[in-house]
Amino acid sequence: MKYLLRVDMSNLTVTKEDVPEAWVRYGGRALTSAVVFKEVPPTADPLGPDNVLVFAPGTLGGTTTPNGGRLSVGAKSPLTGGIKESNSGGQAAHALGRIGIAGVIVTGKPADSDALYMLTIEADGSTKIDRVDQWKGAGNYAVADAIKGMRPADDRYATITNGPAGEAGMKAAGIAISDMKGYPNRFAGRGGLGAVMGSKGLKAIVISDKGLSYTEHADKEAFNAAMRRFSSALKEHPVSGQGLPTYGTNILTNILSEAGGLPTRNFSTGSFEGAEATSGERQREVTLERGGNVQHGCHTGCVIQCSRYWVDKDGHYKTKGPEYETVWSFGADCGIDDLDDIAELDRTCGDMGIDTIETGAAMAVYMDSGKLAFGDGKGALVALKSIFAGGEPGRVLGDGAEAVGKAFGVSRIPVVKHQALPAYDPRSVMGIGVTYATSTMGADHTAGYAVATNILKVGGDVDPLKPEGQVELSRNLQIATAMLDSLGFCIFVAFPVLDIPDAFTAIHDMAEAHTGQPWDVDGLMQLGKEVLVFERLFNERAGMTADDDRLPEFFKTDELPPHNIVFEVTDAEMDTLYDFVPETAKGMGIS
Amino acid sequence: MDVDIALFASLSDLHMPGVPGGRTRTYSLADGTTIADVIGMLDLPDQPRIIFVDGRHAEESAELLDGQRLAIFPPVAGG
Repeated sequence: MKYLLRVDMSNLTVTKEDVPEAWVRYGGRALTSAVVFKEVPPTADPLGPDNVLVFAPGTLGGTTTPNGGRLSVGAKSPLTGGIKESNSGGQAAHALGRIGIAGVIVTGKPADSDALYMLTIEADGSTKIDRVDQWKGAGNYAVADAIKGMRPADDRYATITNGPAGEAGMKAAGIAISDMKGYPNRFAGRGGLGAVMGSKGLKAIVISDKGLSYTEHADKEAFNAAMRRFSSALKEHPVSGQGLPTYGTNILTNILSEAGGLPTRNFSTGSFEGAEATSGERQREVTLERGGNVQHGCHTGCVIQCSRYWVDKDGHYKTKGPEYETVWSFGADCGIDDLDDIAELDRTCGDMGIDTIETGAAMAVYMDSGKLAFGDGKGALVALKSIFAGGEPGRVLGDGAEAVGKAFGVSRIPVVKHQALPAYDPRSVMGIGVTYATSTMGADHTAGYAVATNILKVGGDVDPLKPEGQVELSRNLQIATAMLDSLGFCIFVAFPVLDIPDAFTAIHDMAEAHTGQPWDVDGLMQLGKEVLVFERLFNERAGMTADDDRLPEFFKTDELPPHNIVFEVTDAEMDTLYDFVPETAKGMGIS
Repeated sequence: MDVDIALFASLSDLHMPGVPGGRTRTYSLADGTTIADVIGMLDLPDQPRIIFVDGRHAEESAELLDGQRLAIFPPVAGG
């Protein structure tokens, strides 16, 4: 039976708890959002002792489920002021799952605000908290190296680390998760959860799963049969079986630019003349020329293998990817067309522990103020380092796009619920605009990836340039995504799941065979709805209203080239997206 | 008529020999040429495609016009 690990940073104690009966189906995002909903006062200070920070593998974490090793990290967000689930790859979820841990709940705050601690969870479930003040201000890579030096040579472990941005309480700070080679390069990046970790004095978590095998299933034979069907679907679908493994996530740069949906120079146009130079095709060519790796998983058990390592001109590892969202934020959005410059910015963000989407968007807003020219990659690096080195823009860059816009008098600030929009312009991809506006997370493409159906022709075809059908599309995707996040899946499994009916059935069959409990297809979608109920109600109680479910006004007034179009989905229609919440909440007994 | 044709990802190398340019190349086509005709001319693999004409999704049956830009992608996605 999986258990919860409660870490009280006020008293530096660790205790084990049973998972409440009502939550036995909850893993990943369902668990983190349920815990935050239950334990955090909605109006609590996100950096105060009443916030909690929850790490949870999905229900299928720790098993052989293909692409089932994602980690959910939850808390009240210091950036949005609402609930947050930030999702990451890396090895931590499987390590926790193999030990039998359903979630780690970090509460309280140390009396000594200067103290730094490391939590170690050994493979036998034993734990300890050590003082690591010597790591104050250290970057994620230095901390990962220091941990490596402390562990036995034959150990197998994952790290969860917090960079200096999180220590300093910056609203764009993320949490780094180690990948299969131990690089701290996968991120629960969004929403400032690094600041929450920093507020709790937690610099690192080490999770050893040395000697542990995959988690057992209630019905191994049935699970393996379903797993093979699911794996086949992932390999059979052209996106997950060919496109993503070959070109990685950055395959999107060219297609979004072609569709006029690649936000360029702070959302002032939808196509980037530097798209080809920063494209996934070009990234693959350069990486191969330099001897870098162009195909691996971000966690054990990944079948899709869309990760890659960028290496410098001498062939030395620089950073992962860079992934599409980062190539966009520091590329097109800042007008920068040099992949080496973008990779350097990515690495610097990774070491500081700061979200590349938020920070790249913030950099573009800063450029829009006229203080730095669009396209100046070297200047952008100096500006990024000013967060700690001083000068302009300085620390405010670490607090995100809205903070920078206010500090430098920029009127075009692309945020929803104070969180920066990612790499798709909502005027020419209207479905994702609905997700940005309505998501409980703030502007978040992963919450309901309507780009798939609007642009990529996956899961149907809804015209991206028209408002019709976008709310229904976004609603269905948000519910399905919440379900996938709770089971521990990478959201890229959605591409085959949307097109191959048996892939969805296989998910149901794996969940049933692993847990030994009856599931049904409706039950899977019900799980997604329940997650959104926790999140929606938390946000309402934190003070959010329909006015928070809106895109910034300029998306409705400023026409976006090349299609010269504005966002046209009405407020009234978007306000129907969560119509299912009252009835679902009533059924959960929390209305 | 002249039409710019751009091929991406796994289709990148399937331009006709002798037509100069990089990813995007200008082809002289007969009036009335459809996207399906171009797909046949380039001998693109028989698989689903994502097709844009001047940045808007287009059907393979559509006729091309002078000065347009045709972009063809294999199935791709990311995020």
